[in-house]
Amino acid sequence: MSNLMMSGDFRECLSRIPDLDPELFLESCKRPLPEGFRINTIKSSEENVLKRLRQKGFVFEKIPWARYGYILRDGGELGKTLEHMAGLIYLQGPVSMAPVEVLDPKPGEIVLDLCAAPGSKSTQIAQLLENMGVLVANDVNHERIKALSSNLQRFGVINCVITLTDGRKYPRFARGFFDKVLIDVPCSSLGIISKNWGIAKSWSLGMVERLSRIQYQLLEAGFNCLKPGGVLVYSTCTLTVEENELVIDRLLKNYKNAKLEDIRLPSLKSRNGVVEWSGRRLNPDLEKAVRIMPYDNWAEGFFIAKIIKEVGGNEVNGYR
Amino acid sequence: MKLMDTGERKHFELRLRKQYGVENPFEDLVLLAAGRGRVRATTKEALEVAKKLRRVQQAGVYIAKISKEDVILSIEGSQVLNGKITKSVLDLDEESAEKWMRAEVLEVRGKYEGKYVVGKCGDLYLGSGRITRDGKLYPQVAKWRRIPVE
Repeated sequence: MSNLMMSGDFRECLSRIPDLDPELFLESCKRPLPEGFRINTIKSSEENVLKRLRQKGFVFEKIPWARYGYILRDGGELGKTLEHMAGLIYLQGPVSMAPVEVLDPKPGEIVLDLCAAPGSKSTQIAQLLENMGVLVANDVNHERIKALSSNLQRFGVINCVITLTDGRKYPRFARGFFDKVLIDVPCSSLGIISKNWGIAKSWSLGMVERLSRIQYQLLEAGFNCLKPGGVLVYSTCTLTVEENELVIDRLLKNYKNAKLEDIRLPSLKSRNGVVEWSGRRLNPDLEKAVRIMPYDNWAEGFFIAKIIKEVGGNEVNGYR
Repeated sequence: MKLMDTGERKHFELRLRKQYGVENPFEDLVLLAAGRGRVRATTKEALEVAKKLRRVQQAGVYIAKISKEDVILSIEGSQVLNGKITKSVLDLDEESAEKWMRAEVLEVRGKYEGKYVVGKCGDLYLGSGRITRDGKLYPQVAKWRRIPVE
Protein backbone atom coordinates (compact mmCIF):
# COMPACT_ATOMS: atom_id res chain seq x y z
CA MET A 1 0.00 0.00 0.00
CA SER A 2 2.90 2.32 -0.61
CA ASN A 3 0.79 4.65 -2.74
CA LEU A 4 -2.14 5.07 -0.38
CA MET A 5 -1.52 8.24 1.63
CA MET A 6 -3.28 8.14 4.99
CA SER A 7 -3.85 10.98 7.42
CA GLY A 8 -2.97 10.41 11.08
CA ASP A 9 -6.66 10.54 12.00
CA PHE A 10 -7.40 7.92 9.37
CA ARG A 11 -4.82 5.48 10.80
CA GLU A 12 -6.20 6.02 14.29
CA CYS A 13 -9.77 5.61 13.14
CA LEU A 14 -9.05 2.20 11.63
CA SER A 15 -8.12 0.89 15.05
CA ARG A 16 -11.39 2.18 16.52
CA ILE A 17 -13.76 0.58 14.02
CA PRO A 18 -15.24 -2.52 15.65
CA ASP A 19 -14.55 -5.85 14.03
CA LEU A 20 -12.40 -4.30 11.28
CA ASP A 21 -9.50 -6.34 9.90
CA PRO A 22 -7.01 -3.59 8.93
CA GLU A 23 -5.07 -5.78 6.50
CA LEU A 24 -8.14 -6.90 4.60
CA PHE A 25 -9.48 -3.37 4.70
CA LEU A 26 -6.31 -1.94 3.15
CA GLU A 27 -6.36 -4.67 0.54
CA SER A 28 -9.94 -3.74 -0.32
CA CYS A 29 -8.77 -0.15 -0.89
CA LYS A 30 -6.44 -1.44 -3.62
CA ARG A 31 -9.02 -3.52 -5.44
CA PRO A 32 -11.27 -1.83 -7.99
CA LEU A 33 -14.96 -2.04 -7.11
CA PRO A 34 -17.07 -4.42 -9.19
CA GLU A 35 -19.18 -2.74 -11.85
CA GLY A 36 -22.84 -3.19 -11.11
CA PHE A 37 -25.86 -2.20 -13.12
CA ARG A 38 -29.63 -2.32 -12.93
CA ILE A 39 -32.08 -3.05 -15.71
CA ASN A 40 -34.66 -0.28 -16.08
CA THR A 41 -37.95 -2.12 -16.08
CA ILE A 42 -39.83 1.18 -16.50
CA LYS A 43 -38.60 1.26 -20.10
CA SER A 44 -38.27 -2.35 -21.16
CA SER A 45 -38.50 -5.90 -19.92
CA GLU A 46 -35.58 -7.43 -18.07
CA GLU A 47 -35.29 -10.26 -20.64
CA ASN A 48 -35.18 -7.87 -23.60
CA VAL A 49 -32.40 -5.78 -22.15
CA LEU A 50 -30.37 -8.80 -21.06
CA LYS A 51 -30.75 -10.25 -24.54
CA ARG A 52 -29.47 -7.00 -26.09
CA LEU A 53 -26.46 -6.96 -23.75
CA ARG A 54 -25.64 -10.62 -24.36
CA GLN A 55 -25.76 -10.04 -28.11
CA LYS A 56 -23.16 -7.32 -27.64
CA GLY A 57 -20.88 -9.72 -25.80
CA PHE A 58 -21.40 -8.56 -22.23
CA VAL A 59 -21.05 -11.18 -19.53
CA PHE A 60 -22.73 -10.60 -16.19
CA GLU A 61 -24.25 -12.32 -13.20
CA LYS A 62 -27.34 -11.67 -11.09
CA ILE A 63 -26.99 -9.88 -7.77
CA PRO A 64 -28.96 -12.01 -5.27
CA TRP A 65 -29.93 -9.12 -2.97
CA ALA A 66 -31.15 -6.64 -5.61
CA ARG A 67 -34.06 -7.10 -7.97
CA TYR A 68 -32.94 -6.28 -11.54
CA GLY A 69 -29.33 -5.89 -10.34
CA TYR A 70 -26.32 -7.46 -12.11
CA ILE A 71 -22.54 -7.44 -11.85
CA LEU A 72 -20.61 -7.01 -15.06
CA ARG A 73 -17.96 -9.69 -15.50
CA ASP A 74 -16.74 -9.02 -19.02
CA GLY A 75 -17.51 -7.28 -22.29
CA GLY A 76 -16.31 -3.68 -22.16
CA GLU A 77 -17.57 -0.33 -21.00
CA LEU A 78 -21.30 -0.31 -20.29
CA GLY A 79 -21.26 3.46 -19.86
CA LYS A 80 -20.64 3.92 -23.57
CA THR A 81 -23.46 1.72 -24.82
CA LEU A 82 -26.74 2.65 -26.45
CA GLU A 83 -28.47 0.80 -23.61
CA HIS A 84 -26.93 3.14 -21.05
CA MET A 85 -27.52 6.36 -23.00
CA ALA A 86 -31.10 5.39 -23.86
CA GLY A 87 -31.82 4.64 -20.19
CA LEU A 88 -32.31 0.89 -20.40
CA ILE A 89 -29.68 0.32 -17.72
CA TYR A 90 -28.30 2.29 -14.78
CA LEU A 91 -24.74 1.85 -13.54
CA GLN A 92 -24.66 1.44 -9.77
CA GLY A 93 -22.43 -0.32 -7.25
CA PRO A 94 -23.85 -3.69 -6.18
CA VAL A 95 -23.98 -2.97 -2.43
CA SER A 96 -25.34 0.51 -3.08
CA MET A 97 -28.52 -1.23 -4.31
CA ALA A 98 -29.12 -2.74 -0.86
CA PRO A 99 -30.65 0.26 1.03
CA VAL A 100 -33.56 0.63 -1.42
CA GLU A 101 -34.15 -3.13 -1.32
CA VAL A 102 -34.45 -2.79 2.46
CA LEU A 103 -36.83 0.17 2.05
CA ASP A 104 -38.86 -1.96 -0.39
CA PRO A 105 -41.08 0.74 -1.97
CA LYS A 106 -44.43 -0.54 -3.21
CA PRO A 107 -46.51 0.80 -6.13
CA GLY A 108 -48.81 3.59 -4.94
CA GLU A 109 -46.64 4.79 -2.05
CA ILE A 110 -45.34 8.31 -1.57
CA VAL A 111 -41.60 8.03 -1.03
CA LEU A 112 -39.04 10.67 -0.09
CA ASP A 113 -35.35 10.40 -0.96
CA LEU A 114 -34.02 13.21 1.21
CA CYS A 115 -30.40 13.32 -0.01
CA ALA A 116 -31.07 12.10 -3.52
CA ALA A 117 -28.32 13.37 -5.87
CA PRO A 118 -26.96 11.99 -8.14
CA GLY A 119 -30.03 9.75 -8.23
CA SER A 120 -28.92 6.10 -8.23
CA LYS A 121 -31.20 5.19 -5.37
CA SER A 122 -33.96 7.52 -6.58
CA THR A 123 -34.13 5.72 -9.91
CA GLN A 124 -34.18 2.41 -8.04
CA ILE A 125 -37.10 3.61 -5.88
CA ALA A 126 -38.92 4.81 -9.02
CA GLN A 127 -38.47 1.44 -10.64
CA LEU A 128 -40.01 -0.37 -7.67
CA LEU A 129 -42.92 2.12 -7.61
CA GLU A 130 -43.69 1.01 -11.20
CA ASN A 131 -44.82 4.56 -12.09
CA MET A 132 -47.57 4.39 -9.44
CA GLY A 133 -47.36 6.60 -6.37
CA VAL A 134 -44.87 9.46 -6.17
CA LEU A 135 -41.13 9.76 -5.71
CA VAL A 136 -39.93 13.01 -4.16
CA ALA A 137 -36.20 13.43 -4.74
CA ASN A 138 -34.54 16.24 -2.79
CA ASP A 139 -31.02 17.57 -2.58
CA VAL A 140 -29.45 20.69 -1.14
CA ASN A 141 -26.85 21.24 -3.85
CA HIS A 142 -27.81 23.01 -7.06
CA GLU A 143 -25.04 21.40 -9.15
CA ARG A 144 -25.87 17.93 -7.88
CA ILE A 145 -29.56 18.51 -8.63
CA LYS A 146 -28.63 18.79 -12.31
CA ALA A 147 -27.18 15.27 -12.24
CA LEU A 148 -30.24 14.03 -10.36
CA SER A 149 -32.56 15.60 -12.89
CA SER A 150 -30.62 14.12 -15.83
CA ASN A 151 -30.65 10.66 -14.32
CA LEU A 152 -34.38 10.72 -13.56
CA GLN A 153 -34.98 11.94 -17.13
CA ARG A 154 -32.80 9.21 -18.65
CA PHE A 155 -34.57 6.62 -16.51
CA GLY A 156 -37.99 7.94 -17.67
CA VAL A 157 -39.47 8.59 -14.23
CA ILE A 158 -42.80 10.32 -14.82
CA ASN A 159 -44.10 10.22 -11.25
CA CYS A 160 -41.30 12.24 -9.66
CA VAL A 161 -40.93 15.66 -8.08
CA ILE A 162 -37.49 17.22 -7.58
CA THR A 163 -36.97 19.71 -4.77
CA LEU A 164 -33.89 21.76 -3.93
CA THR A 165 -33.76 22.47 -0.23
CA ASP A 166 -31.91 21.68 2.96
CA GLY A 167 -33.39 18.31 3.96
CA ARG A 168 -33.33 19.36 7.60
CA LYS A 169 -36.12 21.86 6.84
CA TYR A 170 -38.44 19.30 5.25
CA PRO A 171 -40.69 18.73 8.32
CA ARG A 172 -41.69 22.41 8.19
CA PHE A 173 -43.96 21.62 5.25
CA ALA A 174 -44.10 17.82 4.95
CA ARG A 175 -44.44 16.53 8.51
CA GLY A 176 -46.08 13.07 8.59
CA PHE A 177 -46.55 13.08 4.82
CA PHE A 178 -44.55 10.14 3.45
CA ASP A 179 -45.09 6.37 3.49
CA LYS A 180 -41.37 5.73 3.18
CA VAL A 181 -38.22 7.79 3.53
CA LEU A 182 -34.66 7.05 2.45
CA ILE A 183 -31.88 8.94 4.24
CA ASP A 184 -28.66 8.13 2.42
CA VAL A 185 -26.62 10.78 4.14
CA PRO A 186 -23.36 12.47 3.17
CA CYS A 187 -20.62 10.64 5.06
CA SER A 188 -16.86 10.16 5.43
CA SER A 189 -16.96 7.44 2.73
CA LEU A 190 -14.65 4.84 4.30
CA GLY A 191 -16.54 2.14 2.41
CA ILE A 192 -15.59 3.42 -1.04
CA ILE A 193 -11.93 4.40 -0.67
CA SER A 194 -10.94 2.27 -3.66
CA LYS A 195 -12.96 4.71 -5.80
CA ASN A 196 -11.05 7.69 -4.46
CA TRP A 197 -7.81 7.39 -2.49
CA GLY A 198 -8.02 11.08 -1.66
CA ILE A 199 -10.54 10.16 1.05
CA ALA A 200 -7.80 8.49 3.14
CA LYS A 201 -5.50 11.47 2.77
CA SER A 202 -7.97 14.15 3.76
CA TRP A 203 -9.90 12.13 6.33
CA SER A 204 -10.20 13.75 9.77
CA LEU A 205 -12.01 13.20 13.05
CA GLY A 206 -13.26 16.78 12.90
CA MET A 207 -15.02 15.95 9.63
CA VAL A 208 -16.66 12.92 11.25
CA GLU A 209 -17.92 15.04 14.16
CA ARG A 210 -19.34 17.65 11.81
CA LEU A 211 -20.93 15.04 9.56
CA SER A 212 -22.49 13.11 12.45
CA ARG A 213 -24.29 16.26 13.62
CA ILE A 214 -25.74 16.83 10.14
CA GLN A 215 -26.54 13.13 9.79
CA TYR A 216 -28.60 13.15 12.98
CA GLN A 217 -30.44 16.30 11.91
CA LEU A 218 -31.26 14.75 8.54
CA LEU A 219 -32.36 11.49 10.16
CA GLU A 220 -34.61 13.34 12.61
CA ALA A 221 -36.10 15.42 9.78
CA GLY A 222 -36.75 12.30 7.71
CA PHE A 223 -38.34 10.55 10.67
CA ASN A 224 -40.65 13.52 11.26
CA CYS A 225 -41.72 13.40 7.62
CA LEU A 226 -42.91 9.80 8.01
CA LYS A 227 -46.55 8.88 8.45
CA PRO A 228 -47.26 6.77 11.55
CA GLY A 229 -46.56 3.19 10.49
CA GLY A 230 -44.11 4.42 7.87
CA VAL A 231 -40.67 2.98 7.16
CA LEU A 232 -37.36 4.82 7.08
CA VAL A 233 -34.01 3.48 5.90
CA TYR A 234 -30.82 5.21 7.03
CA SER A 235 -27.68 4.35 5.13
CA THR A 236 -24.08 5.48 4.78
CA CYS A 237 -21.10 4.24 2.82
CA THR A 238 -18.86 4.57 5.85
CA LEU A 239 -17.89 2.46 8.84
CA THR A 240 -17.40 4.79 11.81
CA VAL A 241 -19.69 4.20 14.77
CA GLU A 242 -20.11 7.97 15.17
CA GLU A 243 -21.81 8.24 11.77
CA ASN A 244 -23.83 5.07 12.09
CA GLU A 245 -24.90 3.43 15.37
CA LEU A 246 -24.49 6.59 17.49
CA VAL A 247 -26.76 8.53 15.12
CA ILE A 248 -29.45 5.86 15.28
CA ASP A 249 -29.01 5.41 19.04
CA ARG A 250 -29.72 9.12 19.53
CA LEU A 251 -32.94 8.89 17.51
CA LEU A 252 -34.09 5.83 19.49
CA LYS A 253 -33.44 7.73 22.72
CA ASN A 254 -35.33 10.80 21.56
CA TYR A 255 -38.28 9.13 19.85
CA LYS A 256 -40.09 6.33 21.66
CA ASN A 257 -42.06 5.48 18.53
CA ALA A 258 -38.89 4.76 16.52
CA LYS A 259 -38.19 1.02 16.37
CA LEU A 260 -35.47 -0.83 14.56
CA GLU A 261 -36.45 -3.73 12.32
CA ASP A 262 -34.53 -6.76 11.13
CA ILE A 263 -32.91 -6.59 7.69
CA ARG A 264 -32.74 -9.49 5.28
CA LEU A 265 -30.47 -9.29 2.26
CA PRO A 266 -29.96 -12.71 0.66
CA SER A 267 -26.35 -13.74 0.07
CA LEU A 268 -24.95 -10.34 1.07
CA LYS A 269 -22.24 -10.93 3.65
CA SER A 270 -22.68 -8.54 6.56
CA ARG A 271 -22.43 -8.27 10.34
CA ASN A 272 -24.72 -6.92 13.03
CA GLY A 273 -24.70 -3.32 14.20
CA VAL A 274 -22.60 -2.48 17.26
CA VAL A 275 -24.35 -2.37 20.65
CA GLU A 276 -21.37 -1.47 22.81
CA TRP A 277 -18.63 0.95 21.89
CA SER A 278 -15.91 2.86 23.68
CA GLY A 279 -17.33 1.87 27.07
CA ARG A 280 -20.86 2.95 26.10
CA ARG A 281 -23.83 0.63 25.99
CA LEU A 282 -26.03 1.47 23.03
CA ASN A 283 -29.63 0.42 22.34
CA PRO A 284 -29.53 -3.40 22.08
CA ASP A 285 -31.82 -3.28 19.03
CA LEU A 286 -28.92 -1.79 17.10
CA GLU A 287 -27.78 -5.31 16.37
CA LYS A 288 -30.64 -5.34 13.85
CA ALA A 289 -28.74 -2.81 11.74
CA VAL A 290 -26.15 -4.18 9.31
CA ARG A 291 -22.51 -3.25 8.78
CA ILE A 292 -20.94 -4.32 5.53
CA MET A 293 -17.16 -4.18 5.32
CA PRO A 294 -15.66 -3.55 1.87
CA TYR A 295 -13.86 -6.91 2.06
CA ASP A 296 -17.04 -8.81 3.05
CA ASN A 297 -18.17 -8.89 -0.57
CA TRP A 298 -15.15 -7.19 -2.19
CA ALA A 299 -17.46 -4.33 -3.04
CA GLU A 300 -18.57 -1.11 -1.29
CA GLY A 301 -18.73 -0.91 2.50
CA PHE A 302 -22.09 0.21 3.88
CA PHE A 303 -24.17 0.65 7.00
CA ILE A 304 -27.94 0.19 6.81
CA ALA A 305 -30.64 0.58 9.46
CA LYS A 306 -34.37 0.12 8.99
CA ILE A 307 -36.63 2.11 11.32
CA ILE A 308 -40.40 1.89 11.73
CA LYS A 309 -42.42 4.79 13.06
CA GLU A 310 -44.88 3.08 15.34
CA VAL A 311 -48.52 4.11 15.30
CA GLY A 312 -49.47 5.95 18.51
CA GLY A 313 -47.13 6.40 21.47
CA ASN A 314 -45.23 9.50 22.46
CA GLU A 315 -43.37 10.98 19.60
CA VAL A 316 -40.66 12.78 21.52
CA ASN A 317 -39.00 11.81 24.76
CA GLY A 318 -37.96 14.42 27.27
CA TYR A 319 -34.31 14.38 26.31
CA ARG A 320 -33.34 15.81 22.93
CA MET B 1 -44.15 24.76 -13.06
CA LYS B 2 -46.94 25.92 -15.31
CA LEU B 3 -49.77 23.68 -16.45
CA MET B 4 -50.40 23.70 -20.19
CA ASP B 5 -53.74 25.35 -20.73
CA THR B 6 -56.49 23.55 -22.64
CA GLY B 7 -55.83 25.45 -25.87
CA GLU B 8 -52.08 24.75 -25.79
CA ARG B 9 -52.69 21.09 -25.01
CA LYS B 10 -55.20 20.74 -27.86
CA HIS B 11 -52.76 22.33 -30.27
CA PHE B 12 -49.95 20.08 -29.07
CA GLU B 13 -52.10 16.94 -29.38
CA LEU B 14 -53.30 17.98 -32.81
CA ARG B 15 -49.69 18.36 -33.94
CA LEU B 16 -48.87 14.94 -32.53
CA ARG B 17 -51.77 13.41 -34.45
CA LYS B 18 -50.79 15.08 -37.72
CA GLN B 19 -47.06 14.42 -37.44
CA TYR B 20 -46.93 11.03 -35.79
CA GLY B 21 -50.50 9.65 -36.05
CA VAL B 22 -50.89 9.58 -32.28
CA GLU B 23 -54.44 9.35 -30.90
CA ASN B 24 -55.17 10.17 -27.23
CA PRO B 25 -51.50 10.64 -26.47
CA PHE B 26 -51.32 11.38 -22.75
CA GLU B 27 -54.76 10.43 -21.43
CA ASP B 28 -53.98 10.29 -17.71
CA LEU B 29 -50.95 12.54 -17.62
CA VAL B 30 -50.60 16.18 -16.76
CA LEU B 31 -48.68 18.31 -19.27
CA LEU B 32 -46.51 21.18 -18.10
CA ALA B 33 -45.23 24.10 -20.14
CA ALA B 34 -41.56 24.29 -19.22
CA GLY B 35 -40.58 27.38 -21.22
CA ARG B 36 -39.19 27.88 -24.74
CA GLY B 37 -41.74 25.45 -26.18
CA ARG B 38 -40.66 22.57 -23.98
CA VAL B 39 -43.27 20.20 -22.62
CA ARG B 40 -42.97 17.96 -19.56
CA ALA B 41 -45.34 15.17 -18.51
CA THR B 42 -46.12 13.95 -15.04
CA THR B 43 -48.90 12.22 -13.14
CA LYS B 44 -51.83 13.95 -11.44
CA GLU B 45 -50.72 12.52 -8.13
CA ALA B 46 -47.18 13.85 -8.52
CA LEU B 47 -48.60 17.29 -9.31
CA GLU B 48 -50.76 17.16 -6.18
CA VAL B 49 -47.73 16.22 -4.08
CA ALA B 50 -45.68 19.01 -5.70
CA LYS B 51 -48.30 21.55 -4.62
CA LYS B 52 -47.69 20.64 -0.98
CA LEU B 53 -43.90 20.95 -1.20
CA ARG B 54 -41.53 23.89 -1.31
CA ARG B 55 -38.71 24.79 -3.70
CA VAL B 56 -39.95 22.39 -6.36
CA GLN B 57 -37.55 22.40 -9.32
CA GLN B 58 -39.21 19.96 -11.67
CA ALA B 59 -41.81 17.27 -12.00
CA GLY B 60 -41.97 14.34 -14.42
CA VAL B 61 -39.95 14.09 -17.61
CA TYR B 62 -39.23 16.31 -20.60
CA ILE B 63 -41.20 14.81 -23.47
CA ALA B 64 -41.18 17.26 -26.38
CA LYS B 65 -40.34 20.64 -27.80
CA ILE B 66 -42.79 22.57 -29.93
CA SER B 67 -40.81 24.39 -32.60
CA LYS B 68 -43.05 26.58 -34.77
CA GLU B 69 -45.56 24.03 -36.09
CA ASP B 70 -43.43 20.96 -35.44
CA VAL B 71 -43.20 18.66 -32.44
CA ILE B 72 -39.77 17.26 -31.66
CA LEU B 73 -40.08 14.28 -29.33
CA SER B 74 -37.41 13.56 -26.74
CA ILE B 75 -36.24 9.98 -26.26
CA GLU B 76 -38.53 9.66 -23.23
CA GLY B 77 -41.40 11.41 -25.04
CA SER B 78 -41.30 8.83 -27.81
CA GLN B 79 -41.05 6.04 -25.23
CA VAL B 80 -44.06 7.33 -23.27
CA LEU B 81 -46.01 7.21 -26.54
CA ASN B 82 -44.67 3.72 -27.21
CA GLY B 83 -47.14 1.87 -29.44
CA LYS B 84 -49.25 4.95 -30.21
CA ILE B 85 -46.92 6.37 -32.85
CA THR B 86 -48.25 5.13 -36.19
CA LYS B 87 -46.76 7.63 -38.66
CA SER B 88 -43.28 8.79 -39.59
CA VAL B 89 -41.52 5.94 -37.81
CA LEU B 90 -38.08 5.07 -39.12
CA ASP B 91 -37.01 1.51 -38.34
CA LEU B 92 -33.32 1.34 -37.52
CA ASP B 93 -31.01 -1.64 -37.33
CA GLU B 94 -28.62 -1.86 -34.40
CA GLU B 95 -25.80 -0.16 -36.27
CA SER B 96 -27.99 2.77 -37.39
CA ALA B 97 -29.43 3.08 -33.88
CA GLU B 98 -25.91 3.44 -32.49
CA LYS B 99 -25.21 6.13 -35.10
CA TRP B 100 -28.49 7.81 -34.16
CA MET B 101 -27.41 7.90 -30.52
CA ARG B 102 -24.09 9.44 -31.56
CA ALA B 103 -26.15 12.08 -33.45
CA GLU B 104 -24.40 11.13 -36.70
CA VAL B 105 -26.07 12.19 -39.94
CA LEU B 106 -27.90 9.28 -41.57
CA GLU B 107 -29.06 8.78 -45.15
CA VAL B 108 -32.79 8.10 -45.57
CA ARG B 109 -34.43 6.24 -48.42
CA GLY B 110 -38.14 6.61 -49.14
CA LYS B 111 -40.44 9.54 -48.55
CA TYR B 112 -41.71 10.83 -45.27
CA GLU B 113 -44.47 13.35 -44.70
CA GLY B 114 -43.19 16.31 -42.71
CA LYS B 115 -39.78 17.29 -41.48
CA TYR B 116 -39.47 14.90 -38.53
CA VAL B 117 -39.46 11.14 -38.03
CA VAL B 118 -39.20 9.01 -34.90
CA GLY B 119 -36.33 6.53 -34.72
CA LYS B 120 -37.10 3.00 -33.55
CA CYS B 121 -34.84 0.01 -33.03
CA GLY B 122 -36.82 -3.11 -32.13
CA ASP B 123 -39.08 -2.00 -29.30
CA LEU B 124 -36.84 0.92 -28.40
CA TYR B 125 -37.88 4.44 -29.44
CA LEU B 126 -35.10 7.03 -29.76
CA GLY B 127 -36.91 10.36 -30.17
CA SER B 128 -37.24 12.59 -33.23
CA GLY B 129 -34.84 13.20 -36.09
CA ARG B 130 -35.06 15.94 -38.72
CA ILE B 131 -35.09 15.01 -42.41
CA THR B 132 -33.84 17.43 -45.04
CA ARG B 133 -34.95 17.58 -48.66
CA ASP B 134 -31.75 15.91 -49.84
CA GLY B 135 -32.56 12.80 -47.79
CA LYS B 136 -30.28 13.44 -44.82
CA LEU B 137 -31.44 12.68 -41.32
CA TYR B 138 -30.24 14.63 -38.30
CA PRO B 139 -31.11 12.81 -35.03
CA GLN B 140 -32.20 15.32 -32.38
CA VAL B 141 -30.27 13.80 -29.50
CA ALA B 142 -29.24 16.13 -26.68
CA LYS B 143 -25.45 16.32 -26.25
CA TRP B 144 -25.51 14.73 -22.81
CA ARG B 145 -27.48 11.75 -24.18
CA ARG B 146 -25.11 10.95 -27.02
CA ILE B 147 -22.87 7.89 -27.03
CA PRO B 148 -19.40 9.39 -26.60
CA VAL B 149 -17.31 9.27 -29.77
CA GLU B 150 -13.90 7.63 -29.22
